[in-house]
Amino acid sequence: MPQARALENIRVVDFSWVRAGPWATRWLGAFGAEIIKIEWPESERGRLPSSTTPQHLEVNLNTSGNFADTNVNKKSLSLNVRSAKGLEIVKRLIAISDIVIENFSSRVLQNWGLGYDELCRIKPDIVYVSMSGYGHTGRNHAYTTFGPVAQAVSGLTHLSGLPNEPPAGWGWSYMDDTGGLYGAMCALTGLYHRNMTGRGQHIDQAQMISSVPLTGPALLDFTVNGRGSKRPGFPPGNRAHWPGTPLMSNYRGPTVAPHNAYRTHPGGYNDWCVIVCHSDEEWQRLVGVMGMPAWAEVEKFGTVIGRLEHQAELDAHIEAWTMTLGKYELTEHCQAAGVRALPVQSAEDRVEHDPQLRDRGMYQPMEHPVLGTNKVQNAPFKLSETPAVNQLPSPLIGQHTQEIIEGLLGYSHAELRAGFDDGTFWPAKRPRFPYLEDMVR
Amino acid sequence: MSGPLAGLRVLELADEKGQFCGKLLGDLGADVVKIEPPGGERCRQVGPFLNDIPHPDRSLSFWYYNTSKRSVTLNLETADGRALFQRLAATADVVLETFPPGFLASLGLDQAELRAANPGLIVCSLTPFGQTGPWRDYLSSDLLHMAAGGEMASCGYDEADVPNAPPIAPGGGNAWHTGCHYACMAIMAALVYRTMSGTGQFIDASVHEACALTTESAIANYVYRGEVLRRQTGRHHAISPTNRTQFRAKDGVYVTALISGGLNVRNVRNLAELMDHYGMAGDLLDPKYQDPAVVAASGKHVIDELLAAFIASLPAEEVYHVGQARGFTWGAVRVPEALLDDGHLHDRGFWQQVEHPELGRTYVYPGPAAIYNGSPWEISRRAPLVGEHNEAVLCGELGLSRGTLSVLTESGIV
Repeated sequence: MPQARALENIRVVDFSWVRAGPWATRWLGAFGAEIIKIEWPESERGRLPSSTTPQHLEVNLNTSGNFADTNVNKKSLSLNVRSAKGLEIVKRLIAISDIVIENFSSRVLQNWGLGYDELCRIKPDIVYVSMSGYGHTGRNHAYTTFGPVAQAVSGLTHLSGLPNEPPAGWGWSYMDDTGGLYGAMCALTGLYHRNMTGRGQHIDQAQMISSVPLTGPALLDFTVNGRGSKRPGFPPGNRAHWPGTPLMSNYRGPTVAPHNAYRTHPGGYNDWCVIVCHSDEEWQRLVGVMGMPAWAEVEKFGTVIGRLEHQAELDAHIEAWTMTLGKYELTEHCQAAGVRALPVQSAEDRVEHDPQLRDRGMYQPMEHPVLGTNKVQNAPFKLSETPAVNQLPSPLIGQHTQEIIEGLLGYSHAELRAGFDDGTFWPAKRPRFPYLEDMVR
Repeated sequence: MSGPLAGLRVLELADEKGQFCGKLLGDLGADVVKIEPPGGERCRQVGPFLNDIPHPDRSLSFWYYNTSKRSVTLNLETADGRALFQRLAATADVVLETFPPGFLASLGLDQAELRAANPGLIVCSLTPFGQTGPWRDYLSSDLLHMAAGGEMASCGYDEADVPNAPPIAPGGGNAWHTGCHYACMAIMAALVYRTMSGTGQFIDASVHEACALTTESAIANYVYRGEVLRRQTGRHHAISPTNRTQFRAKDGVYVTALISGGLNVRNVRNLAELMDHYGMAGDLLDPKYQDPAVVAASGKHVIDELLAAFIASLPAEEVYHVGQARGFTWGAVRVPEALLDDGHLHDRGFWQQVEHPELGRTYVYPGPAAIYNGSPWEISRRAPLVGEHNEAVLCGELGLSRGTLSVLTESGIV
């Protein structure tokens, strides 16, 4: 018996592009919703530019590896929504759909004639999720974001780095990943509410604003205690506290030592591990794992206050020991003794060397018509009744145009061909991929 | 109007790993009952504290992550505590728990049995590594997850900025946030499924897997091209060095100034006009910059010299706003508290006044990630005091007499 899907029979009209929106609909697709991604090759952003096309393939609309991982579980409809005919078609699609989701700038859908009021006229209980940079209201609604800018403006970037150095920030668009999760959560809560009450709504999610609640304790330290986060020793890097500065919370958890990253053997770029002791007992276990070295038995290291006070010396001793072991070996020794330690893992480490991710099936091979068989990232949760398992590889651009136009919307084959001729389904002068040629036969 | 999850009952047995997930559900209208051990959950011991005076009811971290919840204290390691929990679970839609794998089962509170007694119940176990696998019983922390999840491998400094810098774990507890975002998403999908099927289910969610999924293209770069990315100051990891994007403004605050799509003739002219307004265009108005080849060869000069000097001549907020007004996707690298002066957030009614009646005070809290026009997000109450709702829930809802409640409290069960 095929497994049930949590979002069986839910259809999503997905205008999203680049990363944050597509990351949202990836998950709705994993839960079993039918995701119809509306794309147009002339204004596509997500497939191109591509820095993740395999070296042996030509860079084109269908060869981005990152697009392929971000867009599993979707169908692609190539459609010029900026034409009258294209707009009419997309309205027919919305009329038989449950969710409309997009991550354009704040006025784009409205300017196309697809603002929330119009969406309601087409489908009265539609759940409309907009995922713009700054939201659809407010004086700066027209501002644009990328992940790094949303992270900077919201305060997230400031929380990352070493004291007295520039912010290290985030080495990727954390708020494209996380903004995508909020987009998915908004869609799901809106859908739940619709199923319970029969009413749809517009949910106005904003990337920059979604970042702000992720700095909650730092904000409360200011609004309640008046303490700002521009102060000596903050942010304290990987430590819970920077030596020589006043003891105070760093908003990550308990203020303890050791709490740091240490180099491991053989000293390569990602040969690091982290070790944290939350209590004196955990520290004594670490001393045991290290073989009870004489330096560690000194009284000043026996208490959390002593270890915080002599943290620089403590960290130097610990690193002299970690340098003698590989990061996985060190992790096993520590964890076997009840000491908190894990390796710093690169992408290669996660895919190839992480025994836990392997055991849990985090990266499962999937066949893609152009890219071949590659590992695709799975869901970080296992649902007992409705597994969120990847079903469809990422679509080629326009791959499902015929299926949707003829099969779902009931247009004739002649109408499909006419739409290819008049530039509704593909720019009239742009060369077509072979699978598109097959469609218009 | 009430929130989209009005009418839902969530029992939360969660520490730092899951408390944010309960807040996400509670602020959207669910009745989240936090089940704590007598004396309070240990996250109440995490600072900062109100006026730096530690107390289970004064942790600002706890305040933040536990809005819109009620608190009931129950000792699950006693038969009476378990029986009360089972009665509550029979009234619940969701149980969210973060105990080590197997702990609830060892108490006779296995998820399968809870669900057998309440077939619509969704039980979500959010644990560091999930319910299975060789690392299942490993200990963790936010820093540990940022290491193994791959966040640290992507964050750090250019060698020129900080020689020999370690990989950096961004602060703020984002490993827990990430685990909670995914867990919340899975719970919501299960709830939608239940509206159609009437059936609950068990969710085995892993913080490690959630973090391992949250480094954007890093996995794709490896899977499709075999590349391992390098860390750079304040900008994307990359296979080879890319232009700086973070510049120090006149007031010492940094600005993130990306040039979308890279430098081209059009955006160099746009940049020249913006900078010329301040007399800072340098040679950018020279007609040679109408030649794409010249632009392509001038990246270091335009960005590291002219753009950096322009930004150094103005306060960061001004650079941010004049840049955005010209269509540049730029932003000031603000401290969190600077957001309290952000006019846009005020326009959107972002900040929330949350009353703490026992203190006679109202404090400002951050608001919602999104505005729901048909079912508003709302902080319904400040974080509960330890056991604040024992009487309301155990007597008012389960029908215990106050005498019984007193006896159970004296015995360390409540």
